[in-house]
Amino acid sequence: MWYKIIEITEWFGEVAERYRLVKDFNRAAKYAFIQGTAPTLLEAKITRGESTYKHAFSKWMASGFRIKALSGRPLERGELVEIGRVILDNEELTRKLITLGWDTLEVHSNKGYNGVKWALKEFAKIGGFLN
Amino acid sequence: MIVSLIQIKKDSALSKSIAEGTEVTASNIDLSISIWFWLAIIECIIIIYLVFKLKKRNVNLDFADISKDKLNSVKSSSIDMGNVMNSINSSRGLYKNLSRLCHPDRFINSEKQELAESIFQEITKHKRNFQKLSELKQRAKEELEIKM
Repeated sequence: MWYKIIEITEWFGEVAERYRLVKDFNRAAKYAFIQGTAPTLLEAKITRGESTYKHAFSKWMASGFRIKALSGRPLERGELVEIGRVILDNEELTRKLITLGWDTLEVHSNKGYNGVKWALKEFAKIGGFLN
Repeated sequence: MIVSLIQIKKDSALSKSIAEGTEVTASNIDLSISIWFWLAIIECIIIIYLVFKLKKRNVNLDFADISKDKLNSVKSSSIDMGNVMNSINSSRGLYKNLSRLCHPDRFINSEKQELAESIFQEITKHKRNFQKLSELKQRAKEELEIKM
């Protein structure tokens, strides 16, 4: 019984942590844009994600972490990849995304039809980290 | 058989109501109970099937052997989002600049060659981490005496 109650509180804590992470990202992006260090405003949001990238911690229907660049022009593939690679090279952030139930990282711009996505599990090295 | 049973029940309820002088509508209580009972059973079977399928699928997925409790420390760790933003916007330029200035080829046959090699390796390793690159820039300034 107690175990179930703890599980439920953990679930709510996890949901809150997910939204906090997205909020922190958006706030940092906003400050960087206002200060002039960032030429484009980035916006993160939770999406459905790619079903083939699923792992054991994936959240149902909310496993995609999407970064939208409000650039006003279609970004080139190289630019989109560069944004995504910064997230994926940050091992701590990637592991946190995985443990909080995300399995897909998506990057696209607000104009054009280009977008890139990665399976987070390929970049986390979680097994090695725990061992 | 169920239909005939319902019909019998319906008829008996009708005759009883006529005798007692009460009104009988099409939505008989007994009839509705039996329909909801069967619906509930079907729903229950579907839920059990879905739970079974979910459990079975989770076993085959990646990280299924890792307990969630072990990852609690990762969940509560704080990420420096400012550094992430700086890395997205400024790390590329800084990396290019540093890799050009600290390239070991610039220190051939000098006593700083080994040091330059180690710094260059670090720069390549952290090419998308602005904070690390800034630290390496400072180190290059002090140890390699490079003017930026």
